[in-house]
Amino acid sequence: MTYSPPPIVPAGMTPPAEPLMTPPAAPPAASPGPPAPLEFVLNGESAVYAGRGDARLLDVLRDVFRLTSVKCGCREGECGACAVIFNDRLVNSCLVPAGMVALGSVTTLEGFRETERFAVLDRAYARFSAVQCGFCIPGMVLASEALLRRNPRPSPAEIREGLSGNLCRCTGYNAIVEAVTLASKEGEGLW
Amino acid sequence: MVSGLHPRRLNEALAAMADPGVIALAGGTDLMVGETETERRFLYLHNVREMRGLRETPDHLVVGAATTFTEVLESPLAPPLLKEAVSGVASPAVRNAGTVGGNVANGSPKADSALVLMVVDAVLLIASARGERLLPVADFYLGGKKVDLASDELIVEIRLPKSRLAPHYYCKVGGRRALAISRLSFAGLFRQERGRIRHLAAAFGAVTDVIFRDRCLESMLVGLEIPEAKKLRQDFLAAYGAALVPTSGRVSKEYRRSVALNLLGDFLTVFGV
Ligand SMILES: Cc1cc2nc3c(=O)[nH]c(=O)nc-3n(C[C@H](O)[C@H](O)[C@H](O)COP(=O)(O)OP(=O)(O)OC[C@H]3O[C@@H](n4cnc5c(N)ncnc54)[C@H](O)[C@@H]3O)c2cc1C
Ligand code: FES
Ligand code: FES
Repeated sequence: MTYSPPPIVPAGMTPPAEPLMTPPAAPPAASPGPPAPLEFVLNGESAVYAGRGDARLLDVLRDVFRLTSVKCGCREGECGACAVIFNDRLVNSCLVPAGMVALGSVTTLEGFRETERFAVLDRAYARFSAVQCGFCIPGMVLASEALLRRNPRPSPAEIREGLSGNLCRCTGYNAIVEAVTLASKEGEGLW
Repeated sequence: MVSGLHPRRLNEALAAMADPGVIALAGGTDLMVGETETERRFLYLHNVREMRGLRETPDHLVVGAATTFTEVLESPLAPPLLKEAVSGVASPAVRNAGTVGGNVANGSPKADSALVLMVVDAVLLIASARGERLLPVADFYLGGKKVDLASDELIVEIRLPKSRLAPHYYCKVGGRRALAISRLSFAGLFRQERGRIRHLAAAFGAVTDVIFRDRCLESMLVGLEIPEAKKLRQDFLAAYGAALVPTSGRVSKEYRRSVALNLLGDFLTVFGV
């Protein structure tokens, strides 16, 4: 019933201060001996997880790795608050079983924050006051990054389409679309 | 094993499927909705080489079952009708994970890519460690959410006959632009040669408990010249009106039937009938 070995915390992150959330049920009797832990790359560092393989990546990132930029809004793929980048594609981490990321690479906002592209998006979002309560913003910023990676000069319609899986209850979206438009100009050459 | 099973080749995947406790997972966008008490052991399909990507053979366009919707949209090989239907699925993040094979396997009459596979008469290659078989997608759906797939079988690929990829009409009616599961969807194919209808196919999603197609009704207009077909237009629509008996759902039956018939009528109009 324990997560072992302890998670590797990405550089710059404070290790968990409180005890970890109650881990989910023990592995089924069918798997003999202790389950093999799962290795993956998390925000550029190697990471190990040894809990339930069918747990949602969302819960594992928040409760085990304490990456709380990953938000939980619906647990069914509707809101985009839990979005992360998995193997270069934006996915909703609530719909990704932890086991799926074995040997793959996951980036959350905590990792993306270290990049120059983040700095450009950060300034652009601030310039248009595109952040209000902030709950949707980590997912929104990663969706912006995923969009700009594939389409560095998106039209407003393409931005709306690219962010269509990310719901924001506060801003009404126009400020966000303006922010991404500005970021695509200011970040010329970065994407 | 915490990580689950991660086969890279089809034969490894099929060997693993022989264990009835193993659940195949492609994108997880259906399987991960809802909570489960007992741990599920997943066999991940996203690295199985034989199940990924699109390719062409002389007669078919072949879509690997574990190809994501995004990969379909990015492929120069994917036919416009398939792209149009897939672009209406949910949102980029769901399209990055969700797969065509998962869309068929879930058995839903609302499945957007399955609607296209039905209207083009696609054929599924289904395999297990016991062997493989080809099955027209129409025969895969057994009614309700039941599908013709044994617990050790995988859909490996989906073959779309190139000869069927005729000019098309497509419409999805949802509650809003993004993240809307179909309230109703329609795909039609229409090919004429020198004023005579050579091929006509019409498929309706989310009306009945499986995607609806009736070859007998379609044949009413095939072989006719356009003016003759025009004369039969009202009878044709009335016949569909009688045959389409919507299942109960969140959206009223009468609404769904009348929208379905409007789309069928519009399809005929677009092609001059
Ligand atoms: C927010 C949201 C919005 C959605 N919107 C739409 C929409 O607009 N239109 C639409 O059509 N769908 C929609 N869906 C449903 C879903 O995304 C699709 O049905 C998708 O195609 C499922 O594919 P998957 O790979 O994620 O399936 P999974 O969840 O991995 O699997 C689904 C089922 O198929 C089985 N399976 C998967 N691959 C195979 C295979 N190769 N062989 C045998 N069995 C297999 C699995 O065992 C499971 O039973 C939506 C889902 C969500 C969460
Ligand atoms: S919590 Fe994952 S999409 Fe809403
Ligand atoms: S800023 Fe509040 S939800 Fe987007």
